[in-house]
Amino acid sequence: MPATTLYSACVASAIGLYLLMRGTGGGVRGMGTIVALGGLGWLLSETFASIDGDVGPTIAPLIFGVIAVMAAVRVITHRRPVFAALYFILVVIASAGLFLMLHAEFMAFALIIVYAGAILITYMFVLMLAQQSPTDAGDSGSAWYDRTPREPAIALLAGFILLATLVEAMDNSRARHFDTMTETVATRAAEQPWIDLGRLPRELLRTAQDVDPDVVDVLSAPRLDDGIVRLSVRLHGGTETEITLPQSSQPSNTRVVGLALVADYPVSLELAGVILLMAMFGAVVLCRKQIELGEDEAQQAAGISGGPQS
Amino acid sequence: MTTLGTVSSLIAQADLIDPKSMQLMLIFSALLFVIGLVGFLTRRNMIIMFLCTELMFQGAALAMVAFGRMHMDASGQVFVIFILTVAAAEAALALGLVILLYRKRDTLDAEAWSELREC
Repeated sequence: MPATTLYSACVASAIGLYLLMRGTGGGVRGMGTIVALGGLGWLLSETFASIDGDVGPTIAPLIFGVIAVMAAVRVITHRRPVFAALYFILVVIASAGLFLMLHAEFMAFALIIVYAGAILITYMFVLMLAQQSPTDAGDSGSAWYDRTPREPAIALLAGFILLATLVEAMDNSRARHFDTMTETVATRAAEQPWIDLGRLPRELLRTAQDVDPDVVDVLSAPRLDDGIVRLSVRLHGGTETEITLPQSSQPSNTRVVGLALVADYPVSLELAGVILLMAMFGAVVLCRKQIELGEDEAQQAAGISGGPQS
Repeated sequence: MTTLGTVSSLIAQADLIDPKSMQLMLIFSALLFVIGLVGFLTRRNMIIMFLCTELMFQGAALAMVAFGRMHMDASGQVFVIFILTVAAAEAALALGLVILLYRKRDTLDAEAWSELREC
């Protein structure tokens, strides 16, 4: 897409966001919503026009993505922090939908369970712990620092220059055939699931037995040539033969992720566990409350002497 | 022209991602990241500032899963698992810190701490 179009669309979105942040009346905020949506639509339609291909498979990702982006805008513009956190849950659910479209089923559900279920609950608890009392709250029931953005113009300038640069970089690299499917990338990507299946011996044997129940042993890794997956196997009577695997016998997403996690990145996995443990210790140390106890109370608490015996 | 034909037949045959969806995912990941960045810079509420870093994580995670799908490689998703780990650790530590700061000044405003000295 031409650079001027890209920058105009970014400027329109930025102006819309500015109105949304700064506006006090419903009218200004409504106008901001319309301008921001217009900018977003412009950006997306230009992207659509600049790539040839079928529109069909992009409709579902488009819906999820637009929901995610609109909820993200609400996260940064909503005046009540609890609602901002709730909109963030919507962002998480919409990006889980995008992950499903990308065939990353395990990550989609992990995202909902871990992010929406655990991390956001922690945020909600802290928001409610640190709630301002209703007496010093402002007219709309929110504190002044939630109603007044800090330097929105400069922040939007920085953010949307970054956006324009990112989108332009994607465009340029596509023009130079770096990031879209070149033949090498596509060929290697088509082979990858079968390489993964070859690294899962029991899964491979089960797959072969699904195709031909007489198979007792697999003799080679699956090979992909000309779109057909071939596999050398030994049959029940001892004869060696070659079977073809259907496209549907690719290993599932969960198996592939598990294989990569424990076979390719075992040390990182252990370190992630250590990070979580250290974060837990850190949180306990930070939030520990020092309680001053007298001599008698300390003895009582330790159960050494005095106090009511149960 | 033959190259393009080979690639699109490969995409159809091996169920690879089509370039249009790929570009869409990258645009959405860039948008999520940028909105998170703008939110981090403009919001004054410390908790919402951390929420905006989580928005940036979401954008990065989406890009990684999309590139992983393009190469049919699970490493992108493994990275997202590590992002989840870091986000959980950050939520535990940063929110503990926010609670401490709130107890000292009785406000969640980040500007209340613009002068770094003992109170």
